[in-house]
Amino acid sequence: MQLAVNILVLASIYALIGCGYVLIYRTSRVLNLAHGELMMVAAYLLLTTASLFSGHPLTAFVASALLGLVVGVAVYVVLMRKMTGERVLAAVLATVALGILLRGIVVLIWSAQQQYPGQALGWPNPALELPGGGRISVAAATLVLTTAAVYASLFAFLRYTRWGIRMRAAGQNPLLAAQRGIRLHGVYALAWGLSTFTGGLAGRLIALDSGLEQTMVVIGLKALPAALVGGLDSLVGAIVGALIVAGAEVLLIHYVNPLLADVVPFLVLIAMLMVRPWGLFGTREELDRV
Amino acid sequence: MKRLALTTALAASLAAAQPAAAQDAYVVGLSGALTGPAAATYAPVIEAMRAYVDHVNSKGGVNGKPIRLVVADNQGEPSKAAADAKKLIAQDKVLILINSSLSSTYAPMIAESKRAGVPLFYAGAVCPKETYPPADPLQFCSTAFGAQYDSQMAMGFVKSNSKEAPRVGYSAMAIPISRGEIDYAEGLAKQMGMTPVDKQVIPPPTPDYTPFATKLKDANPNWVYSWAPWVTQVRTLEALRRLGWKGNYIAYAHIQSEDELERLKDGDLYVFGTNAFFKDDLPVHAEIRAATHRAKLNYPTTQLTEGFIAGLVLEAALKGASWPPTPQKVLASMNNLKVDTKGLRGGPIEWTKTNHFRTKQYYRVYRWDPSKNGIVQVKDWTAIDV
Repeated sequence: MQLAVNILVLASIYALIGCGYVLIYRTSRVLNLAHGELMMVAAYLLLTTASLFSGHPLTAFVASALLGLVVGVAVYVVLMRKMTGERVLAAVLATVALGILLRGIVVLIWSAQQQYPGQALGWPNPALELPGGGRISVAAATLVLTTAAVYASLFAFLRYTRWGIRMRAAGQNPLLAAQRGIRLHGVYALAWGLSTFTGGLAGRLIALDSGLEQTMVVIGLKALPAALVGGLDSLVGAIVGALIVAGAEVLLIHYVNPLLADVVPFLVLIAMLMVRPWGLFGTREELDRV
Repeated sequence: MKRLALTTALAASLAAAQPAAAQDAYVVGLSGALTGPAAATYAPVIEAMRAYVDHVNSKGGVNGKPIRLVVADNQGEPSKAAADAKKLIAQDKVLILINSSLSSTYAPMIAESKRAGVPLFYAGAVCPKETYPPADPLQFCSTAFGAQYDSQMAMGFVKSNSKEAPRVGYSAMAIPISRGEIDYAEGLAKQMGMTPVDKQVIPPPTPDYTPFATKLKDANPNWVYSWAPWVTQVRTLEALRRLGWKGNYIAYAHIQSEDELERLKDGDLYVFGTNAFFKDDLPVHAEIRAATHRAKLNYPTTQLTEGFIAGLVLEAALKGASWPPTPQKVLASMNNLKVDTKGLRGGPIEWTKTNHFRTKQYYRVYRWDPSKNGIVQVKDWTAIDV
């Protein structure tokens, strides 16, 4: 039972982070290599809102989530908008530079020390006993539920709302979408905002569970293989990829060697690239464009 | 006239590019992880050293001359450490190189130190075996923790404080220094008649420690020993507790540990280390508080002892090098050094020509006492001969 819980929690982490990669890639074909850093910044914002709204943890959490959305939109408006029309590689390199900048900013503002937003918010994180003998912390359970809610909301948003349909259209054929009057910059800005919003949710919940420091950036990168295995332009793929990678990781830790935890996501990715380079649910033609 | 003005401006800018008044100060170069994933461990040490040097300079410096500490951020990356060491030696003409970073940055700095004959001082960075007797002529270390001695202390404590036969689980970070120490501790436990039951070597960027803790818990240890960066030590413990494990946990007392004992309030978590906690409230603690208050540091005072001790050692090493200083004079001073740690350690830090670590390693053990709602000393200074 505990193994199943462990797989579910890890898969939820990867899926929640991974959907940020997918949202930007499927809309603008840009692989955002600063996603881990943006996730970290969004998580650190919780520390700031926790001190601003002392004694009101829910308000602090919601405020930091909204700030995360604003940061994502601001990154697009200030930096990525300028990359429109440039080669995709230039845009990807811009995200690398952005990541380096954000890492420095985090140290300058919040210092390099380990932080505990849960303590700042006064939120305890007890463990819950599950039927069947498994245990899960409140923060981890919230993360699993949040991931489910985020994906359900994203599916509904993309299928039924006007802006969601615009995002899909911009992703499928930006030229045609622009000719039909869709404002591409607005759509791309929204994609960046939503990506940072969802990544930030993952960052905050991980931080509430086990603390916050700069290695969160690497956790952001570890979720990338899950998104690639599923197919970088598919939200369903991100969920399936996360389950496969997390399942392989947890089972190998338990039955083979814990040291494999670091390499498993990339082994699964290499295997997938050899068999089906566009991922399980990815679009083959998208790969040709890359 | 225009040409003269241009020449003057060029000469002025070249003069400005020279190391500022290098001949008027003891110049010391530090390459450390001020940022990057390992910064939580090293940045407070570097900042505390900087504050200590400012404090010494405000009192007139060393031998009437100020200390100029040139700090470079290597982010824990070997390539950056190599570039820093080259620049510090060639451009800044430093008398000592200081490393406050991950062990992966040692090799390039050792190479540069050897090439130039400049001593290399590890401050807050784990002491390499080359500083133990018989020591490498150029490498010195004041850092609290020491491989093998730490595990001797920890395993001895586990054995003497177990009510039942110790079944020991181990947790390490997947970096060579931590893995090597945990392997050593596992062997030591067997020699001491204890039973090692499981060992988890955990990669540094791990989003969830529960899968590792699950396996550790399934092995049913009554003690778990962790010797790794604090993040691995504490997250393994927290994951074990969430899984309902109720055994004893012993870990190295890194710079964060005093605050962390207070945060966790776990009566079965023991931390052992070589630096006195602020709760001991020594006169020197007031001195550290005052110095760091003046420097307006961004880190809790409880995390600054290690950097302060490194500052004491640096000051003593430079004091022994008469003006005008050279790396050779500083080296001679470091080879015959005795630093009073004012109670921050169990005894003085002594370096000789063959021992650049210390002659005795002293440990204290602390834990949180729920009945007293505070941190208590479980075991006072215990010496291990080096």
